[in-house]
Amino acid sequence: MKGIRGISKLSVTKLPSGLMIASLDNYFPASRIGVFVKAGCRYESPENQGVTHLLRLAANLTTKGASAFRICRGVEAVGGSLGVTSSRENMIYSVDCLRDHIDTVMEYLINVTTAPEFRPWEVSDLTPRVKMDKALAAQTPQMGVIEGVHGAAYKNALSNSLYCPDYMVGQVNADHMHNFIQNNFTSARMALVGLGVDHNVLKQVGEQFLNIRSGMGTAGTKAQYRGGEVRVQNGSSLVHSVVVSEGAAVGTDEAMAFSVLQHVLGAGPHVKRGSNPTSKLFQGVAKATADPFDASAFNSNYSDSGLFGVYTISQSAAAGDVIKAAISQVKAVTGGVSEADLTRAKTQLKAEYLMSLESSEGLLDAMGLQALSGGVYHSPEAIAQKIDSVSATDVANAANKFVSGKKSMASSGNLIKTPFVDEI
Amino acid sequence: MASRAPATGRLLVGFRKWYYNAAGFNKIGLMRDDTIHEDSDVKEALRRLPEKVYNDRMFRLKRALDLSMKQAVMPKEQWTQYEEDVHYLEPYLEEVIRERKEVEEWSKK
Repeated sequence: MKGIRGISKLSVTKLPSGLMIASLDNYFPASRIGVFVKAGCRYESPENQGVTHLLRLAANLTTKGASAFRICRGVEAVGGSLGVTSSRENMIYSVDCLRDHIDTVMEYLINVTTAPEFRPWEVSDLTPRVKMDKALAAQTPQMGVIEGVHGAAYKNALSNSLYCPDYMVGQVNADHMHNFIQNNFTSARMALVGLGVDHNVLKQVGEQFLNIRSGMGTAGTKAQYRGGEVRVQNGSSLVHSVVVSEGAAVGTDEAMAFSVLQHVLGAGPHVKRGSNPTSKLFQGVAKATADPFDASAFNSNYSDSGLFGVYTISQSAAAGDVIKAAISQVKAVTGGVSEADLTRAKTQLKAEYLMSLESSEGLLDAMGLQALSGGVYHSPEAIAQKIDSVSATDVANAANKFVSGKKSMASSGNLIKTPFVDEI
Repeated sequence: MASRAPATGRLLVGFRKWYYNAAGFNKIGLMRDDTIHEDSDVKEALRRLPEKVYNDRMFRLKRALDLSMKQAVMPKEQWTQYEEDVHYLEPYLEEVIRERKEVEEWSKK
């Protein structure tokens, strides 16, 4: 693995304010900088549900240093782009541009993350965009099912949706957003990460600009898994269903075992329009129904919990058979997994991870999330070794944890033949 | 009435007060910013007013229209005084004009 360009030159520093700085100079012509904040939708309180959705849309609004128009034109003028992604745990503001224009875009990035003004009329002008986002999300059944399963599986924190709930559309105002930023965008929960930037430049920026709010801010609550069910009956002939049980938290060995298990079972086709021969789920379900279907293992890891299970898409009449067949495949793994399957799954997992690092986006994400969660950067070689050290027993134990755990389920479509969670 | 004019001495203030009262809109309970001509900048600034300020403005305008219909004025004690007049629209209007100028600057490039 020594051939990986420049990865070994990654530097990580932790400032006294708690801010993590990580940078890697890969000598590419384009640079990318991200501000990672532990301020995802899990930190929303009952009073401000939906505020992270608004924040996601408000990245281009007027700040103390520049008006919305200026931010947009300024970033465009240097050929860069400014974007924000948010997950349940984190918000990621990132800019990318050519190396020479780093200073310009960095200024806008810092403005957006530390000094947004949230003018009341600009915030209320976001309401149509919130509605548009929600309408787009409603078009994809996957979004509904995945948000649904999180809402059903957890009592708090992780049950919050990425999207603004209906009753809060138009009700989230500038005060909510200011308060959320005050309480959650603190130095100790932020990481400034750069790709193709000098480490000292980042350190300077971090010390000067990103230490206005110190401390840990509002502590998040520990996610409590409860195991529930959500069913959305609609006219669709395809039933999307996900059955999960509590999984493992990020960074634990168990999480690695679950990832390997996910690939043992099948995590999506590797050949377009192929027959998916290596996916146990796919092969198992194919015996249960002749209609078109899809089955893959669902795995997500959060800082203090996780979800693992199976995601199936089937014709509504065959839904019950498909789901039961998928789950029985997981049960089969509890009895042990063959050496060949294990090696194959590990290779697929390693390939997927390493390929995600090939793009600058993926690499920045990986650096940032590692900087945020532990401050220690694990090189791809170290991660690959950890993957290799997962044993067949670990995988079988992970499968057992799924089979014996309390299940949560979310389904949407024509649910006549879809079993309830206690009937599986 | 420029707000940036130097407040030099009682002479100028005295003149301003005389002019304010001579203009007469205070007799029907209006403030200066209620009478401003509504061009596109002013419309945008009005859109940005906080709800309470906007509602107060609407109330004063309705009252003034009513008085105008009756060809009447308010009792003298209720005339808006020069000192009480709040230029509530000014900051918003300035911001709107600044933003428009910024857009024009950029379009020239």
